[in-house]
Amino acid sequence: MITLPNPLRFVKWRLVVAALLSVGILHILATLATPSLTAASAFARLKTELPANRMIVLDALVPEKQWLPFLSADARYAMCRFDMAKGPVSVAATLPDAGWSLALYTPQGDNFYVATGTQGQRSDLSVLLVATDDRFMGLTPEARGVPADRIASVPVAARQGLAIVRAPDRGIAFTAMTESMLKLASCALQQQ
Amino acid sequence: MRFTLHLIKQRILAIFGWTADIALFLGIVLIGGLGSSWYMVEAGSPLTTQRIGPWASWTSAARADADPYTRAHFARSGALQLSSDVARTYVATADSEGQKLLASCEYAVEGRDLQAAWWSLSAFDDRGRLISNVLHRYAFTSDTITLHADGSFLVALARDARPGNWLPTGGAGHLAVMLTVVDPRQSLQSALAVGKPETLPDIRKVACR
Repeated sequence: MITLPNPLRFVKWRLVVAALLSVGILHILATLATPSLTAASAFARLKTELPANRMIVLDALVPEKQWLPFLSADARYAMCRFDMAKGPVSVAATLPDAGWSLALYTPQGDNFYVATGTQGQRSDLSVLLVATDDRFMGLTPEARGVPADRIASVPVAARQGLAIVRAPDRGIAFTAMTESMLKLASCALQQQ
Repeated sequence: MRFTLHLIKQRILAIFGWTADIALFLGIVLIGGLGSSWYMVEAGSPLTTQRIGPWASWTSAARADADPYTRAHFARSGALQLSSDVARTYVATADSEGQKLLASCEYAVEGRDLQAAWWSLSAFDDRGRLISNVLHRYAFTSDTITLHADGSFLVALARDARPGNWLPTGGAGHLAVMLTVVDPRQSLQSALAVGKPETLPDIRKVACR
């Protein structure tokens, strides 16, 4: 009687199980570490281009000066790199119509606050960014006994980040209006 | 003497076997661990991305509660999207037949006016760079596009001028088309949620050089 060799007999099962476990662990570590290890994140690219706590209205995007990949020329942008090392930062913007937005991002790219414009209705927004640690240091207006009825206070887990006002491209006829509205946007350290 | 030689031979074979095992182990771990992570971060999976026809969208893009793959994807790409709570961004790198979009080909992007507060259609190269052209035209939006009387539209992606909504392409290599939909209305949100293919524009190859 002929007995066929069983190929599974040669497999080192302990090694296979160890390899599968290690593949899983390395997969998880590599995925979790990517945002911290990459030098090409949006924040890293803009950090050197944008001054701290100042809103900059960008020129219309062109291939020679495209600030980020996949940043579409379908809109005009005003950007601010906020830095709360010296205290809370106030960000203000006017969203005159649909398609406009104010978005705040952490350095990791999390959009922790976003407001969009409403069709035919102007919205004047003002938010006070407070680092989560500072809320316990009495740096918010409320903590100092100052009424902050008009300003929404937004706690931020990071000390730095990006504020971006996005104005949709409505054609050449609206360029001047769009620019004037973008220039109303501001970003500055909160006066103590 | 013969016994000693036999022992040495056995020892060498054992070392070879052990080294081969370690090399195989490390190879599998590195290729499997890093490769699977790279694929999930770069291309996404049904857990993280939604595919509707040729369009792909990262469902929890820019959200604070985004999964690690989505966070890693956008950190690597350097792109900043609006939170998927208020806007959806779809990127197509292939036509509706599944063929890669090539700069040397002409495409017709056909669809209907999207039920959203605002939307736009932009063309890039495959690395997300705007494509240089003499008209300085890189996108059409719901405000700037010319619609047909029935609310449909056709955007021609081509190197040479075309009548109507012409989005110039150029250079060599691959293309990417991005569709951004801000504040989609309830009807569109429902259609997108179930992934109805007719909801988003069709990308049809017209000709290649």
